[in-house]
Amino acid sequence: MEIKAIGCEPLQLKRMHVKDGHTLKVYQETGGYKSLKKAVGMSQDDIINEVKASSLRGRGGAGFPTGMKWSFVPRQSPKPKYVVCNADESEPGSFKDRYLLERDPHAVIEGMIIAGFALGASTGYIYFRGEYNYLIHIVDAALEEARAAGILGDNILGSGFSMNIHTHTGAGAYICGEETALLSSLEGFRGHPRMKPPFPAVEGLYASPTVVNNVETFTSVPQIIEMGGTVWRDLGTEKSGGTKLWSISGHVKRPGVYELPMGYSDMEKFIMEDCGGMLRDDKKLKAVIPGGSSVYIMNADQILGKNVTLDYEGLVEAGSMLGTGGMMVMDETVDIMESTKNLTEFYRHESCGWCTPCREGTDWLVKVFNRIADGGGRPEDAQLLLDICDNIEGKSFCPLGDAAAWPIQSAIKRFPEDFKKWINKF
Amino acid sequence: MSAELIKVTINGTEYEVDKGRRLIDVCHENGYGIPSFCYYGDLEVQASCRMCLVRIDKMPKLQTSCTISCTDGMVVTTTSEEIEKAQRSMGEFLLANHPLDCPVCDRGGECELQEVIFDWGDVEERFAENKNAKAEKYLSPIVANDPQRCIVCKRCTRVCHEWMGEDAIEAGNRGANTVIGTYGGWLNCSQCGNCIEVCPTGTLLDGTYRHETRPWELDQTVSTDPYGSDGMQISIGTRGGKVHRVVARDRYVNGLNGEFLDVKARFAHDFVCSADRVKTPMIRYKKGGKLIPATWDDAIAHVAAKFREFGKNVGVVASPRLSNEAVFTLKRFAQEVVKSDSYAVSDVADQAPFFNNLSAPLCTHKEIRYATTILLVGGEPEEEQSFTAKQIRQAVRNGGAKLIVVNDTPIRLVSSASQFVHINPCSYDAFVAAFIGGDKSAAKKAGIDAKEIDAIRKTIDETEGEFILMVGGELSANAQAALAGTASKFGGENRRALLHPLPRYNNSVGAHDMTAGRKSVEEVAKDARALLIGGSLQNASIIDGKDFVVVQELFLTDTTLRADVVLPAASFAEADGTFTNNSGYVQRVRQALEPLNQAKADWMITSLIAREMGVDFGYNFAATAVFKAIADSVAAYEGLRYPHLKDESRPASAKYEIADRDVADALKALSESAASLPDETEKISETPKIGHKLHRLTTMTSKTPQFHLLANGNPKPDSLFVSPLVQFNLDGTKRESEAAA
Ligand SMILES: Cc1cc2nc3c(=O)[nH]c(=O)nc-3n(C[C@H](O)[C@H](O)[C@H](O)COP(=O)(O)O)c2cc1C
Ligand code: SF4
Ligand code: SF4
Ligand code: FES
Repeated sequence: MEIKAIGCEPLQLKRMHVKDGHTLKVYQETGGYKSLKKAVGMSQDDIINEVKASSLRGRGGAGFPTGMKWSFVPRQSPKPKYVVCNADESEPGSFKDRYLLERDPHAVIEGMIIAGFALGASTGYIYFRGEYNYLIHIVDAALEEARAAGILGDNILGSGFSMNIHTHTGAGAYICGEETALLSSLEGFRGHPRMKPPFPAVEGLYASPTVVNNVETFTSVPQIIEMGGTVWRDLGTEKSGGTKLWSISGHVKRPGVYELPMGYSDMEKFIMEDCGGMLRDDKKLKAVIPGGSSVYIMNADQILGKNVTLDYEGLVEAGSMLGTGGMMVMDETVDIMESTKNLTEFYRHESCGWCTPCREGTDWLVKVFNRIADGGGRPEDAQLLLDICDNIEGKSFCPLGDAAAWPIQSAIKRFPEDFKKWINKF
Repeated sequence: MSAELIKVTINGTEYEVDKGRRLIDVCHENGYGIPSFCYYGDLEVQASCRMCLVRIDKMPKLQTSCTISCTDGMVVTTTSEEIEKAQRSMGEFLLANHPLDCPVCDRGGECELQEVIFDWGDVEERFAENKNAKAEKYLSPIVANDPQRCIVCKRCTRVCHEWMGEDAIEAGNRGANTVIGTYGGWLNCSQCGNCIEVCPTGTLLDGTYRHETRPWELDQTVSTDPYGSDGMQISIGTRGGKVHRVVARDRYVNGLNGEFLDVKARFAHDFVCSADRVKTPMIRYKKGGKLIPATWDDAIAHVAAKFREFGKNVGVVASPRLSNEAVFTLKRFAQEVVKSDSYAVSDVADQAPFFNNLSAPLCTHKEIRYATTILLVGGEPEEEQSFTAKQIRQAVRNGGAKLIVVNDTPIRLVSSASQFVHINPCSYDAFVAAFIGGDKSAAKKAGIDAKEIDAIRKTIDETEGEFILMVGGELSANAQAALAGTASKFGGENRRALLHPLPRYNNSVGAHDMTAGRKSVEEVAKDARALLIGGSLQNASIIDGKDFVVVQELFLTDTTLRADVVLPAASFAEADGTFTNNSGYVQRVRQALEPLNQAKADWMITSLIAREMGVDFGYNFAATAVFKAIADSVAAYEGLRYPHLKDESRPASAKYEIADRDVADALKALSESAASLPDETEKISETPKIGHKLHRLTTMTSKTPQFHLLANGNPKPDSLFVSPLVQFNLDGTKRESEAAA
């Protein structure tokens, strides 16, 4: 398991290898909470402008510009405002947030307090996926330390601004990573997404203005305040600012969490050199899912020799998406029908059941996959799978439906042989 | 409130609509059919079935028309290849795991899923895998459930939450495993059955009607609820001379209550065709003897002869369950046949003082739903006027209305209230003396702080829109008079004050209207030597020792025990007539069945006796003529005729006199009554159990076996797969051998 920065100074990963980096003492010794001190001396608008200037895009998968999201929150609100950290990290292939929470919890807290100050929110929540329950005591301890040190609670650092942050675990549902479902769950209801609009920035937790951001989004904020928005942006590209964490798994020699500047060039070098290349030297690269399971799968031809830059635009151009940066590398031993079946089972299991196409569609898809795997594949099955996906895509209530359709659509298109093989098997 | 008009183009035609209207409604109103399942006008938008997809210019993807508010210049397409494919695919998805067992499904023929699919006619079925199997079961004695048929539209859970405030059912599990379930596996709710009604499929089923008929074999008769004073409109489903079910389904009936009913209105209809009905006239020839069947001719002749003997000493009592026609005819009998003013209505919660002191108009149920502030003094609408309660809940929940509850008991509606004024037991007089009369010491007697009264006033003063004062039937005459008589004073520049009574019976209001100048039941019972009673008395002992008692009844009751002649009356389902509800709507009761056995409509029985005694009421034996006579003699009903009452969706109102009232005497009496109350009393702290009135066994409800289980604690059976009626005796104890067998 490798954790390191390539092509940039470790910013997100700054304390990954520092002993006791999760403690307040070490955090402060290594420059922590300096940004908060700076931020409370700034105006709210200035902070938001810095975040806008940084071109920080949400690290939870959708890549929505964070500064813009913050500016949607009404300045004046008769209701309380909330800052929520999305630590539900459930996207298959993504495991970056967990290291931040485990080894650098104060960075998350600092980012949340700065957000709270900038937005005028005096309550924050960190929502953990159920399986991250084991991390909660680390974060709770960090919150306690911060409270004891006057960094959190009443009159933070003498600024007159008060804020508290609470932790909460879900029961282990992927859908609770979707921000509105997360809010439902946080309120104690079933984890169902809610209708948008209204967006959480206007009507979120308890129908009050709420900003939901990913863990890594929050940990980026202190860096932005410290070095200034444009400086941070210029670590990456014009449109994709800063650095980004990548979770690499699968058939590479050195899987792990890597920090790369946005616009890193190129994807082939990253996999073949930085990550040590293919796990087994005699096996060729077959496929990569670059951004967590919910993006299009890429075949080797789309990567090798194609100079794919690792940023939002580069991956779209290459035929996929950055998503959460959960990169899954597969060599030629992988049967894409089977890997896609596996993912589809995940989506069937995680469909919340609210809407027809996702609930019934994923169930049907899995049944077709099962039949194919059991040797009952029919010539029309590929077309059937594609049509079911088409009937889900763009028609579901929340993006999970799309996320279930995309891997299948791209897999059948980009690996037709792997499907034909099964149909012709018997 | 004049809404801004905007232009929307639908399929190439431009329409002017109110800004912000829901697109699906606008499309439907203009004749563009859009299939939909989860959308339900009176519930929050769910947008989960994804059936109502349309294309809107300048928007990415297809949009669900149930979530779209119309904006100016919106260009909408509701039919195209793309849309049809999307909609058909939703149909295909919904059918994937749906058993195709329409031929044995109670909803077959009324199922919205079936209809949408049949409308297309040629839905391709490509799903060739195994369907997810789930077992059929019971959720309560009343609610049966076939989870396989569920399309997870969650109308049921929304109805339970939004209409009933009960949260008794919710979805469980996730994804394709989602099922609608209960907490603890058994429904311990009020059993209103609204979830069954709004379910578009055969998932939630009327457990009292399982497999009795196919819906299309039923004759549907629109009528009025024979239990509550809200005047809920129902459709009675009959076949072969039997009432099989009662529904409020939109496709049959569109009354003020929409599809809402309560447990009694919907399920307690077995009394109509009960074997216990009085089948023939019966005469007790000798005091202490038996009731012996007789012919109508003999019975009428016997009664007439006896009544002639007693002359003016015949008193008449009408039940507030009877139709206006029946009560009016009974009153005429007293006035015109025996020529006495000895007539009464046997209503234990008589609201005459309320109606005689109206200073503000009665409100409609729609006005309750959109009220700004509601002050509920006394009553327990959630158990007695269930539709009123639903409107109150939605006014608070969806409309942000403020509810102030004044009660000596923490009734369930308190959970919706912004202020609960918890008065001492039976201290309404003191409360009203304090609230209306400003009597400070009375507040103390009511066990409340003067500040609480100030808070009520402040809320009312700040109200813009409608302020509704609801008055419970258990309040004393003076308290009712003082509240009704001063309601108008709560109006203001931007505020309209309205009144809403909470009478106990289906026709309490009409019975009051029909019998101006009546006496109390006790007075009549005391003064008369002979009695003609329509229906039964709440306390039959008051007629002990009378010389001659004639009772028009459906059943043998405490009152018929004391009767010398019992005449079999037709139930509400066997006679035409009208009931007047608590907002003054005069609504039709329609004959759905030929009178059973030898029963006759109450007004007809009374008229026959009158004719035998030489007075012809001139009805020509048609209910419509009785009603015309009512309209000609009761001022509030002037000009009304049956044809005006034809359309239940546009009810006609009785017109009550509204005037400034002098309530000084009432207030003085209230203060005196307050002064006589003890200073310290213990308050009632327990919230009454859900169903404590709704599930009570009465002459009528007890004929439906399921009500016995409800009244006996609604025990959860060992097996959910077999009807609880098989597993329990009616008293709620376990049935031994048969269940095992
Ligand atoms: C099905 C689904 C699952 C999601 N899961 C996560 C998650 O686990 N963690 C996360 O940060 N965002 C997740 N998101 C994205 C969130 O909805 C939301 O966009 C994000 O938390 C916003 O934060 P950001 O702007 O900082 O990325 C998910 C979205 C969907 C549709
Ligand atoms: S697409 Fe629909 S069923 Fe799937 S998770 Fe989203 S809301 Fe739930
Ligand atoms: S039980 Fe009926 S109303 Fe409830 S979700 Fe299922 S189909 Fe809809
Ligand atoms: S009716 Fe619009 S989504 Fe169900």
